[in-house]
Amino acid sequence: MSTASGAGLELRQLCREVGERLLLDRLDLHVAPGECVALLGPSGCGKSTTLRLVAGLDPASGGQVLLDGEDLSERGPGERQVAMVFQSYALYPHLSVEGNLGLGLKVRGMAARERQRRIDATLDLLQLGELRHRRPAQLSGGQRQRVALARALLREPRIVLLDEPMSNLDAQLREELRPELRRLLCGREQPVMYVTHDQQEAVGMADRIALLEAGRLQQVGSPRELYTNPANRFVASFLGRPAINLLALEPGRQLGLRPEHLHLSEDGAVAARLLRREWWGHQQLLWLDSQWGTLRVLTAPETPTPREPRLSWQRQHELWFDPQSGARLAP
Amino acid sequence: MRLLVLLWSLGPLLWQLRTSLLRPEALVAPLLEGNPWTLANYQLVLSGDPPFWRYLGNSTLVGLATTLLTLLLAVPCAYGLQKLRGPLRWGVGLALVGAAMFPTVLLFLALLEIARSFGLANNLLTLSLPYTALSLPLAVLLLRAAFADLPGELEDAARLEGLDLGQRLQHVLLPLLAPALASTAILVFLASWNEYAIALTWISRNDLLTLPIAIARIGGGSVFTIPYGAFAAATVLGSLPLLLLVLLAQRSIVSGLTRGAVKG
Repeated sequence: MSTASGAGLELRQLCREVGERLLLDRLDLHVAPGECVALLGPSGCGKSTTLRLVAGLDPASGGQVLLDGEDLSERGPGERQVAMVFQSYALYPHLSVEGNLGLGLKVRGMAARERQRRIDATLDLLQLGELRHRRPAQLSGGQRQRVALARALLREPRIVLLDEPMSNLDAQLREELRPELRRLLCGREQPVMYVTHDQQEAVGMADRIALLEAGRLQQVGSPRELYTNPANRFVASFLGRPAINLLALEPGRQLGLRPEHLHLSEDGAVAARLLRREWWGHQQLLWLDSQWGTLRVLTAPETPTPREPRLSWQRQHELWFDPQSGARLAP
Repeated sequence: MRLLVLLWSLGPLLWQLRTSLLRPEALVAPLLEGNPWTLANYQLVLSGDPPFWRYLGNSTLVGLATTLLTLLLAVPCAYGLQKLRGPLRWGVGLALVGAAMFPTVLLFLALLEIARSFGLANNLLTLSLPYTALSLPLAVLLLRAAFADLPGELEDAARLEGLDLGQRLQHVLLPLLAPALASTAILVFLASWNEYAIALTWISRNDLLTLPIAIARIGGGSVFTIPYGAFAAATVLGSLPLLLLVLLAQRSIVSGLTRGAVKG
């Protein structure tokens, strides 16, 4: 861990305890300027907690939040120049789109003309001009999301935080919005933290992924690093759909094999029986019964499958884990 | 069916109106001859000294002062309680329910003593003090529930934009609470408008009486007659401002203002 005051956002040994419950356990994480880091994990893993600590909405029980080397811990949420897009968007329902964007500036005493100029510019950027007089209730889910985004960007924040910003949108819209969101948010000067429980979204949005579970950081790295070189069994099984196969092949060691790394062959080590076949167009997923339990195998859609295939794999794709702790073991 | 329910609820009120417009003789037996309708009851009530409008004004003043004071105290209290965590929250909530259910009758003598020793009697504004105290628990409970219904992320968003507590209340929370504030205000105003016992003991000057006391004092031609018609007329007159108030407030009571704040 570097102690030098670097550019970007740095979390040091960040903790959050409520009563007896440890919501976040000594998180160390660095987000470079312009970098987008996705906080990924199941619900209750501490990812939203982390975001609220960075924003200053909840007090940390320990640790520091540094921005460009400057400690933010003593600053209130209004003084951190943090913008946040909430899962519910949190638009003020009694104000128009313009009113939603302008309230923060107005309260800070910005002159009306300058305020209007900034609002107009942001509305243009997000192509929301025609909706400026509408109330949130009169907007579609996607439009609300863009207004929330506009409100966040308008303030020229030093940190951008997004808390499951797309989870209220349907899958198709989510996929459509992803590139736009990336265009608007990432690659500027600010560090971006993006909370999601959807690995597709994390891979699509982020430069790096920080995977959390039960308040602890499991691994942080590029999607490729996490996928090919998981630090433990949790990382291996959380990332990748269909999920990794875990085989108790040897006592004291558990073998993880990705579904795409298992091959049907005549001389494979494991005998199996075909249970079901899911045809996905670009691939097919085979569910096979074996002495190690049900296995998932991804193959090309045209691959012929014998009723009693045998499975083989390459040594380089083996991932070994400790069956108790789940820790990664050397091959 | 709807008409039936409507008649059922409005029946007593309409009967009151009818009573207020009938000649006294027509009340007890169907009149054999002549027109049973009259405005004499209203003339009687309005021609009293001091004029009836005076009592209306007194009650309005007390009601407004009570409502204003109650809301001024209840809003911060409800907000604070809503943010409070831990056993204290539970304890205070219980105490409030207890206070709201406390029988007011037990307080009269003590209140009278207080009025006497602090010189609070015969003053319309000080009369709103005990009224506020009595209305406060219910108002706090109602407003706390309303605060609890607001999505927490709304206030978080406002905090991130640098709005301090006062600004959050002014620009975000209270506008969204308008329906709850209006209905709470009406309840408080009504309680003050109808209160009898404290007003009876605190106010003795004729020109400072509130409506309920004034109505009770309307006398008949002799001690043996009960001026039903005049009572009814006074009650009708006394209800008019309330009717107006509710009609006016109806617009802000319309719910659904918070729709669209979170996923709709």
